[in-house]
Amino acid sequence: MNNNKHEFAEDSFFISRRKFMAIGSAFLAVMAIPVGWFASKVASRNDYIKSRSAGLYKDDSIAKLRVSHANPAVEKYYKEFGGKPLGHMSHELLHTHFVDRTKLNS
Amino acid sequence: MTVTSYQPGEIQGLIEIDASKCKGCDACQKFCPTNAIEGASGAAHSINKDKCLSCGQCLINCPFGAIKETHSALETVIEKLADKDVKVVGIIAPAVRVAIGEEFGLGSGELVTGKLYGAMNKAGFKIFDCNFAADLTIMEEGSEFIHRLHANVKGEADAGALPQFTSCCPGWVRYLETNYPSLLANLSTAKSPQQMAGTVAKTYGAEVYNMQPEKIFTVAVMPCTSKKLEASRPEFNSAWKYHQQHGANVASYQDVDAVLTTREMAQLLKLLEIDLAHTPEFKGDSLFSEYTGAGTIFGTTGGVMEAALRTAHKVLTGNEMAKLEFEPVRGLAGVKAASVTLFDQQLSQDVTVNVAVVHDMGKNIEPILRDVMAGTSPYHFIEVMNCAGGCVNGGGQPIDGNGSSWIANI
Repeated sequence: MNNNKHEFAEDSFFISRRKFMAIGSAFLAVMAIPVGWFASKVASRNDYIKSRSAGLYKDDSIAKLRVSHANPAVEKYYKEFGGKPLGHMSHELLHTHFVDRTKLNS
Repeated sequence: MTVTSYQPGEIQGLIEIDASKCKGCDACQKFCPTNAIEGASGAAHSINKDKCLSCGQCLINCPFGAIKETHSALETVIEKLADKDVKVVGIIAPAVRVAIGEEFGLGSGELVTGKLYGAMNKAGFKIFDCNFAADLTIMEEGSEFIHRLHANVKGEADAGALPQFTSCCPGWVRYLETNYPSLLANLSTAKSPQQMAGTVAKTYGAEVYNMQPEKIFTVAVMPCTSKKLEASRPEFNSAWKYHQQHGANVASYQDVDAVLTTREMAQLLKLLEIDLAHTPEFKGDSLFSEYTGAGTIFGTTGGVMEAALRTAHKVLTGNEMAKLEFEPVRGLAGVKAASVTLFDQQLSQDVTVNVAVVHDMGKNIEPILRDVMAGTSPYHFIEVMNCAGGCVNGGGQPIDGNGSSWIANI
């Protein structure tokens, strides 16, 4: 016996033009991004991160001086002008304060 | 009055999505550290500027090239270079020298310090290497760390908060200021190398260059978009305040007048018809181009920590580190941790310093901050950089042609 009732509910199939466009665009966007795009993107990103970092480590390894406290220009700065690290002049020129940005109003 | 995350005068909404180009693919949201990008899949997205750090990660990773910066100082800088009364000082960040070559057909990661100096010299800049300021940052931030460490070991009442966070990355600083203001005491008070460089160029530099400070125009060349926002912070006019206290009476100026990204510097050189790839090397024109290997590795994740440890070791033990390369903080793991035990001469005892290095901040920082808030963090010194890999992958760097905007041409 077949007790199924068939109701015609056309309205439930109805979507607005706006919604159709939105779904269509989402579909197109997904089609435009190949499967695995994100994974391959991150992999290629890591490649150029590694090559650029290697460039900086090379700059370090070829440097005549490799520790900040041995920089003669820094020494000269403190001697002729800045005094000493954490000194009065450093406090005034090289240090700052930070801002609680949850308390700002415009 | 409405709540805002900006101080008066700061650049707001630096990163913007062009709704006519956005396909709503959501790729940018995967790279945003603060979930600031709003909009349903398939609909044009927009950026919540109060949450945005201006880091530009979305911009360099958008497959449709739909994300733009709203501020560029390119034209102003070209005008200043043509002005004979003004000395234009170019402050060059570490990560620029291993990326700008890509814009001139050179290989990825090729080190072009001498050529970049040469090209910028030809364009009319005085060379101020930000690596010099990075060395200066180590002197200040490293001394600050040792000061806090000693005060805590001795149990002094007003000992500074540990762990100490690095403060070089403007995206990270803004993140902490916006989301965790209770942890601001843990942030090193040292300015970033960019801001130290601008301040020194207009104070000590004014003597070195024998120029009136208001006629020095500082241009920072950065791998970073967020550095534009940092330079616009209203408190960053310390050179002006210094000169006012010493009798000057002129209108206020910023320590850093303009910031160009690596991409914009390449654009400037091309506009002036200077081919960096074929420019003879130049060594610099003042002591501000002298830098060390420790300063140059600031541009990669772990570099600030490694540079700080090299100097801390010398200050605490009296000896240089036997091996300067400190491998545990190198590489691309999201959080890198290490422990260093050394003999502290001043305290006459062994001290163990636990350090951590965090990059790709949006994905890795929360557990660390929760521990610090709970008082259970095992660390004493933590380096944080917003971008994956550090500044070498900053939002102002050349955009990798294989990975992103190619798709817009389909």
